[in-house]
Amino acid sequence: MENIYVLAEHRKGVIRDTTWEAIAAGRKLSSELGAELTCILLSANAAMAETLSTEAPRVMVVENPIFETMNSEAIIKTLKEILKPSGSYVLLMGASNAILDFAPGLSVALDAALATDCFSAEVRNGKLFASRQMYSYKINSLVSFKDSERVVLTIRAGSFPFTPSDAAKGAIENVACPIDPTSLKKRFIKYVEAEKGDVDIASADIIVSIGRGIGDEPDLDVFQSLADTMGGVLACSRPIVDKNLLPKFHQVGTSGVEVKPKVYLALGISGAFQHLGGIKGSPLLVAVNKDPRAPIFRVASYGIVGDLNEVVPVLNEKIKSLKR
Amino acid sequence: MNIIVCMKWTPDTSEADLTVSAAAKDIKKDDLDFDMNDWDRFAIEEAAQIKEKVGGKVTVVSLAPEESEDMLRECLARGADEAFQIWSDQMEGGDGYATASVLSQFIKGRPHDLILTGTLAEDDGAGQLGGMLAAMLDIPSATLVSRIEIKGQKASFVRELEGGLYESMEMDLPCLIAVATGLNEPRFVSIRAVRKVTSIEIPNVGIDEIGIDAGKVGQSGARVEIEQVSLPPEGEGAEIIKGKPEEAAARLAEILKEKGAIG
Repeated sequence: MENIYVLAEHRKGVIRDTTWEAIAAGRKLSSELGAELTCILLSANAAMAETLSTEAPRVMVVENPIFETMNSEAIIKTLKEILKPSGSYVLLMGASNAILDFAPGLSVALDAALATDCFSAEVRNGKLFASRQMYSYKINSLVSFKDSERVVLTIRAGSFPFTPSDAAKGAIENVACPIDPTSLKKRFIKYVEAEKGDVDIASADIIVSIGRGIGDEPDLDVFQSLADTMGGVLACSRPIVDKNLLPKFHQVGTSGVEVKPKVYLALGISGAFQHLGGIKGSPLLVAVNKDPRAPIFRVASYGIVGDLNEVVPVLNEKIKSLKR
Repeated sequence: MNIIVCMKWTPDTSEADLTVSAAAKDIKKDDLDFDMNDWDRFAIEEAAQIKEKVGGKVTVVSLAPEESEDMLRECLARGADEAFQIWSDQMEGGDGYATASVLSQFIKGRPHDLILTGTLAEDDGAGQLGGMLAAMLDIPSATLVSRIEIKGQKASFVRELEGGLYESMEMDLPCLIAVATGLNEPRFVSIRAVRKVTSIEIPNVGIDEIGIDAGKVGQSGARVEIEQVSLPPEGEGAEIIKGKPEEAAARLAEILKEKGAIG
């Protein structure tokens, strides 16, 4: 691979952290491959390139109002044009919801191999490898890319910690926008915020959180009662919202609410990455789950392998008696 | 409105004890139950609801071996008009790219205004099929879509970003939409509803019928090669509180109190 590219992700005029982590991954691969690192910025405001140039030796910028948001069609068509003469390369991006919208289509347009949500990447004897997870996050998978000359990797948040470098300022190269934005078939209309609820789990110190493992016809009062006893709030993982058992503002996770509690009691939650990504700080994490292999037990401090119906009522009563 | 729904047949690994196969290229799947990928359940439901609103025809397609016929029949009971099972032995071991190559070849020859699928599959969790398929068909696409409205020759939709933020967008038809879980409530399907569709033939389509080169399918058509799968290292992990449920619960309550974790 001759080149390493990082595509910057931004939202509402601000470079997102996914970009810095992708740059961290890019630095690693660039030293392992001896390849040059270039950051690509597609933005309505080329001034954003200044920030990037302090961390990347070279920045390519395409400025156009269409890049106010991460419109997948505009990005795929633009990168296809500007990367045409680039030979063999690795293109790195964060594994975010905006990037998931175009990474697969982009890989086809670039005639590149793709691995999404990678938690590591390395070069051994000139060959690129990446690691990702499969099967309910229970299995690690090491992959390679046959004889592909171009590879697109999306990087899982937190996998490549970024430390600002004090390197010399990189060169900024402006590139004319190669597409006609009026010809696009996909158009951004506006941002929409999720409804705010009467419970603010983001600021709660104690969270009792329920997941798929509570069963198909759960009695939520049991869990609410435990949350009340503990002086906390009731939260949940995605399947609970999907089943309309609790409104969206109770959902912890990257697509839901980010929480920063002191105590997090995970009941019937398997511990998918998207869920754990919403738990910030380092709370006392306790998990109850009937599957001893559930990924949640890897990150929890304490765990009980068992049936929630048997554990939760006793736990509630016992805490009540300890509070007296 | 011609709607095509792409379904995946996946092993249920959420509560299973997984073991790595001898060659360490995959897990052992013999003892696992297979079912419709959960994300795709929302896709077929959305197709049925769109058809109920604006009319049209729903075609379901899956690239999966014979055993998946139950899933396709369930899709017919959920409101699909026809179903195709795509499989040839050469398709074994393919990745998302190889699957998209086959599906795009199959779909190219058929009328399609809207293609629906789930954003992620529970087995490989790659989230790549929809975007790749759309690119091969040269139509616009969107993932993680949590609301869809068809208005004439356009699809208005809302897709999920992070932190409770969504983006409202629109696309011209034909287009591909990869749905998020929770965008609808998949209907309950009774045994009687499945019986009603037992007489519908589900054709099996192989590489010859599709007209795709054997080198483009399965392992040889894949761009990604799995070198090795493994169980993640155990790490520190949780201290598991043993004992009968009531004993463990009582001990946990004490630990929570000791840690000052009871408000």
